[in-house]
Amino acid sequence: MSSIFSLTMLAESIRIAVPYTCAAIGGVWAERAGVIQIGLEGILLTGAFTAVAVTHATNSPTLGLVAAIAAGVALSLGHGQLTERARVHAVISGIALNLFALAATRMGLRALYDSASNSPGIEAYRFGPTGATGGAMLLRVLADPVFFLALAAVAATPFLLQRTRFGLRVRAAGENPVAAASVGIAVTRVRLTALAVSGAICALGGAHLAYDQQRFESGMSAGRGFIALAAVVVSGWRAGRAALACLAFGTLEALQIVLQDEVRKTAIGDLIQTLPYVATLLVLALAPRRAGAPEGLGKHAAD
Amino acid sequence: MRGPVMKIEDIAVRYGDCWSIRSATITLEPGVIHAILGENGAGKSTLLKAAAGFAPRVAGTVRIEDGRGFGAQDAAGDPKPQAWTNAIGMVHQHFMLVSAFTALENLVLGSEPTGSFGRLDLAKARREAEALMETTGLRVNLDARTSDLAVGERQRLEILRVLYRGARAILLDEPTAVLSPLEAEELYTTLGALAEGGATIAVVTHRMDEVLRFAGHVTIMRRGRTVLSRPITADERDHPKRLEDELTRAIMGGEPPPEASPPALAEDAEVALSIEDLVLVDAAGKRVLDGLCLAVKKGEIVGIAGIEGNGQRELVRAVAGLEPGVAGSIVLGGARLPAVRSTEDLRKRRRAIAVVHEDRHADGLMLDATVGDNLVLGELGQIDGPAAEAALIKRRIDRFGVNPPDAARRAGELSGGNQQKVVVGRALDRIEASPERALVVLGQPTRGVDVGAAATIHGAIVAAAEKGLAVLVVSADLGELRRLAHRILVLHRGRIVTELPPTSSDDVIGRAMLGMEDA
Ligand SMILES: Nc1ncnc2c1ncn2[C@@H]1O[C@H](COP(=O)(O)OP(=O)(O)O)[C@@H](O)[C@H]1O
Ligand SMILES: [Mg+2]
Repeated sequence: MSSIFSLTMLAESIRIAVPYTCAAIGGVWAERAGVIQIGLEGILLTGAFTAVAVTHATNSPTLGLVAAIAAGVALSLGHGQLTERARVHAVISGIALNLFALAATRMGLRALYDSASNSPGIEAYRFGPTGATGGAMLLRVLADPVFFLALAAVAATPFLLQRTRFGLRVRAAGENPVAAASVGIAVTRVRLTALAVSGAICALGGAHLAYDQQRFESGMSAGRGFIALAAVVVSGWRAGRAALACLAFGTLEALQIVLQDEVRKTAIGDLIQTLPYVATLLVLALAPRRAGAPEGLGKHAAD
Repeated sequence: MRGPVMKIEDIAVRYGDCWSIRSATITLEPGVIHAILGENGAGKSTLLKAAAGFAPRVAGTVRIEDGRGFGAQDAAGDPKPQAWTNAIGMVHQHFMLVSAFTALENLVLGSEPTGSFGRLDLAKARREAEALMETTGLRVNLDARTSDLAVGERQRLEILRVLYRGARAILLDEPTAVLSPLEAEELYTTLGALAEGGATIAVVTHRMDEVLRFAGHVTIMRRGRTVLSRPITADERDHPKRLEDELTRAIMGGEPPPEASPPALAEDAEVALSIEDLVLVDAAGKRVLDGLCLAVKKGEIVGIAGIEGNGQRELVRAVAGLEPGVAGSIVLGGARLPAVRSTEDLRKRRRAIAVVHEDRHADGLMLDATVGDNLVLGELGQIDGPAAEAALIKRRIDRFGVNPPDAARRAGELSGGNQQKVVVGRALDRIEASPERALVVLGQPTRGVDVGAAATIHGAIVAAAEKGLAVLVVSADLGELRRLAHRILVLHRGRIVTELPPTSSDDVIGRAMLGMEDA
């Protein structure tokens, strides 16, 4: 049981939590601006694929990261064009985004690597000490540039939203787009900018996922975008709390892995796998309904 | 510093295939309060929006000239100059505030002072706001969440915001519709001071007494045209009767209807409605109804006065059977009304009671459904076929003068007053046809409704009383209560504190509304 309270466990929890957190922060940016965004899953997946494809081609994980962010921004802006300008319902557009990402990455795998399941391995960032001790693992997780960017995003988001003019306008667009427009704020432009930020941060999570595995696997986002959305809701659309919720989820998943090792081959092994998801359902069920949701979520400045 | 002279020349505004303004010409000079009157749907709101640059103008020009050499003219279709947005401020009928923001955040929204890196400089904003509150006397708690502010405070915040943006012209759309008489008085004092200081001020209102007391210039709109625009002299203000008649005729385009008065009440009329010890505790634990007692006789019209938020809304809802948590007894026609446990119970109650809720958007209308559907809402299965339904809808439209008289139009497209006619018309017309009719409860029946339409509604209320129904009218318009009611009850903190005769003055009723027992 000592394995539960160890540096290894801490390192694992943080490592697992990063993609969730990035997606959740992306969700906060989109939804605080008033755009329903269930397409986080698709952006994670696309980010992961783009990062791997570009790293594989150029041997530069940094170029891969930049490309992933660009892809995330593009997809997020596409969602914004559909919902804000063409007035497609955001849920429809989000589903389309997810389906598109799934199909496009599959097609990419086939076209580039002639595989239905995964890409060849890549050489991602390697900083920090080698070795299998808990301390070494933790240092490796923390020294990762992608982790560092994610941390910066978590730290900067509440500040930007609460204390800057841009943040105030984003929140106004999300709470009451009609009122925002009446004082001369270009609501659509503000929302698209917030979506660009959202897509960039979310794609960061995708890159982390791929670099962590050192390759791309078909459908590797595996529902993380939706769990992240749950984190956004229970946090009341607040970045700091959403990050904490994701860390809690990461811890549960790490715990699940450790426990599974210990009870391998017994019948409850499968049950333990469901632990993080059951916990998510419980928290969602107990959380106050939509408390803190932006009032103008899904509404427009003019019909 | 003088405000700009705004010259609006022969403008026309069209939404889709509906002309909101056919031809409007008006000059707004600084220094006096301009009142703009007209029936619902006459185009008053649209006129203000066009002047502030919010409405799709298809013809005409708007010119702004001020002494400082800022002159701007925009012909139809031109984008408005940037300076326009700040020079002219508009306070919309429905407040344009973000309820989750603090008052200060709302104040600066759109013209935020910033430091380095786009950082908000709220300290600077606060200093400027404090100075502004000091000079204008408009007080708002800057740190309160906007949703916690009272209506009057929110309105002050809107006006402060307009001033904060440096506007020297302020256009207000029905600002007093949501205010208590005392607050309205304060508002006009402030506006008067601003005008005196050289600002250009225009106010849309339906209340004639406000025009007669405070305005220096009046414009009447009728069916999308400005039909009268002239100054009001001090002499006229001293003898307002003639002016009032002239304005009323211009608004209606004909002779004004006779004023309503309550029907004679038989000495021995029996009690129809008797409410005992009504108590309702809201989610926050506040006793919104706190031992309320009242009785209404058959054929009697009883008015309820009170400052908004003292239990009016809950009283109406409790009688309608929409507050399951209410304690106490409601006796109608000698029998105690059972608690509402099913839709069947609710239907039964509604066969005896007609209800108009004060918030027509939340409780009275489906804005996305047609006017026709709204006019027969709740009567599914009780009307004999589509032909009968169409006839019923047409009758209600005609009887209450819903304009435009088009059953297929979306209810959300009607002006506020016409939406009100739909809600009131449906309730009154239905109850008169019901064999079990006993009671009419009306929350703010003529809020935002023009003189002519208000007269129609008042006529229908009196007619209902003449038919022997008991009538309970909750209203913020003391003039209305005085004209209609046999008795006025004052509601304060969830209970009836005083009963007053309808001849009581504003002052007496106002003091009672504030809970001053000696009134
Ligand atoms: N956004 C809109 N879309 C369609 N019709 C509108 C719109 N705004 C106003 N109208 C129509 O224009 C007319 C004038 O409206 P309005 O200026 O609001 O009247 P008022 O303020 O005098 O009551 C009404 O018939 C109304 O139905
Ligand atoms: Mg209006």
